[in-house]
Amino acid sequence: MAGEQLALTVFMAVLLVAIVAVLTRLEDWRSYTPLAGGGGVGYGDEATHGHEEKPGGLVRWLTTVDHKDIGILYGTFAIISFAVGGIMAFLIRVQLVVPSGAIVENAFYNSIMTSHGITMLFLFGTPIIAAFANYFIPLLIGADDMAFPRINAIAFWLLPPAALLIWAGFFVPTIDPAQTAWTMYTPLSIEQSMFGIDLMLLGLHLSGVSATMGAINFIATIFTERGEDVNWATLDIFSWTMLTQSGLILFAFPLLGSALIMLLLDRNLGTTFFTVGGGGPVLWQHLFWFFGHPEVYILVLPPMGIISYVLPKFSARKLFGFKFVVYSTLAIGVLSFGVWAHHMFTTGIDPRLRASFMAVSLAIAIPSAVKTFNWITTMWNGRLRMTAPMLFCIGFISNFIIGGVTGVFLASIPIDLVLHDTYYVVGHFHYIVMGAIGFAAFAGLYYWFPIFTGRMYQRTLAKWHFWLSMVGTNLTFFAMLVLGYLGMPRRYASYEFDGAIAPLAQVTTWHQIASLGALLLLAGSVILVWNLVQSWLEGPVVETGDPWNLEADNMKGRDFAWFEQKLKRERAITDGGEESSEDDSEPR
Amino acid sequence: MSLLGFERETLLDLTVNVIPMAIIVFFIVGFGVVPAFGVDPVLTTVQYSLLLVPLAALAVLTYYAGKVVERDEGNHQEAADAASE
Repeated sequence: MAGEQLALTVFMAVLLVAIVAVLTRLEDWRSYTPLAGGGGVGYGDEATHGHEEKPGGLVRWLTTVDHKDIGILYGTFAIISFAVGGIMAFLIRVQLVVPSGAIVENAFYNSIMTSHGITMLFLFGTPIIAAFANYFIPLLIGADDMAFPRINAIAFWLLPPAALLIWAGFFVPTIDPAQTAWTMYTPLSIEQSMFGIDLMLLGLHLSGVSATMGAINFIATIFTERGEDVNWATLDIFSWTMLTQSGLILFAFPLLGSALIMLLLDRNLGTTFFTVGGGGPVLWQHLFWFFGHPEVYILVLPPMGIISYVLPKFSARKLFGFKFVVYSTLAIGVLSFGVWAHHMFTTGIDPRLRASFMAVSLAIAIPSAVKTFNWITTMWNGRLRMTAPMLFCIGFISNFIIGGVTGVFLASIPIDLVLHDTYYVVGHFHYIVMGAIGFAAFAGLYYWFPIFTGRMYQRTLAKWHFWLSMVGTNLTFFAMLVLGYLGMPRRYASYEFDGAIAPLAQVTTWHQIASLGALLLLAGSVILVWNLVQSWLEGPVVETGDPWNLEADNMKGRDFAWFEQKLKRERAITDGGEESSEDDSEPR
Repeated sequence: MSLLGFERETLLDLTVNVIPMAIIVFFIVGFGVVPAFGVDPVLTTVQYSLLLVPLAALAVLTYYAGKVVERDEGNHQEAADAASE
């Protein structure tokens, strides 16, 4: 028996190596053609080993240190994670259609709820931002590449193993997935015995190392690799937000890493950092939220940068109060480290400390509100063009206002004491993470799609995606705000409570409305993925370097200027000409 | 008008960060005037530190960011002037 198993294992290993070997030799691999390849930028136009610095086939993607390739890798990884986290979210919503829970056991519900949060924040949110930043920061600041290209590649390649560790509990038969919720509150996370938690903690640690390496790289790049004509006065808004975000990562993620190690030690070596008789469960909350609240801004600042960058393009006006946005971004960066205990108002911490956290939490609302007014004022009297990226920008602002205002209420201690741990909180932060961050990611995807792929997406499908997402987001998450007011606690797999405690019929109805919204979001997301994949493969090739016609409004940025030069170079080579020396001065 | 070595335009830009600072100062004064939960040597010190540290950090970062941007704006303008001559 053991011999058979050994033979089978060896056979599978040989088969796997053979498949990898074949793939690496597949010259017509469907990939985005390297620079100066001479062909179109779609798949299969010609063998992809035309670039003297890059190998062809799969090896290219496994060995690349080009910031644009790594951006594509980050983006692909993020979209896959978004699909995984999205399916988990949909299962959660289906489960809650009826009070007894419709489809899964409570334990599995806890697992997908935990993994949904971790996946969306660490495996979708951070990587999709890194995708845009890797691709565009060097282009926007006039750098040749990131400051440390190899560290850039290492930072990305830490993510797939991190994802495998985080999801291990779902596909390794003998391991149960974590059921801790994404906050991993002690003592629950110490006492749960499943090995899936340990793997998840290691995966999170790995993703933190990846984010930190990326952050160091962005800081070094923006400080030292700027072109001669880019200084602090002319630095674009997206780079400003990435710089601030990277600073936050530098201070926040190492602390998460330390706390995760302490939790692993508590679980496996009997230390007492967070046990009831030792350091206490509240210590975990302090350490976690000292990372966790800046993490919110780590996730939202670059999307704000994308909105600030894209919105003016389709308003035919420069960003109103550019420097207001810059300074308020820096303000958010600093103040985000002074508000962590507003997540802990109900833990019994001293009321004097609680009051201080409330004060700073109210103060941090100002810089965010300032940006909102700047975006609205940018559109005021502008010549708006309702392209898909613009629609998502406007959707971002609308959702961000609702998410932001509900957050200001939660910053107030008396209101938080009532609404803490209810669906109101879930509705509030989903307006931000889905309604704002997700929408900004979609805006960026559509706006830069011609640069990523050399092709144009299907505009009608993109608008379907927008409207399904906009209606779905507001149905789902507004229903959650109402559920919170009705007293529905978060994290529950079922809600068959006594009708005398809360109006069960109404709660059920609002849960069903939220699930209907989730169905719309699922439909929109399927359309997005279909549109991205099909358009990449078969969409109309972009012939002009200015597919958005930004030149007419004098709004063309360095990103599309670079794209235009790239198209010119490719045409010159295709026509048998040579690249001009002028073109050589452009960043590649 | 010049305050802390800043041009008038820059000062106007920096007001955006003065508002959250003013809110924090408002609470510092408020908690001082009405210490609703009493005064404790340790906890009150931590309470005010939680307000003063972000306030000071924001003031310092705003000051230096304003200085650097204003300096580079001057350089940028000089370069533009030189190019147009």
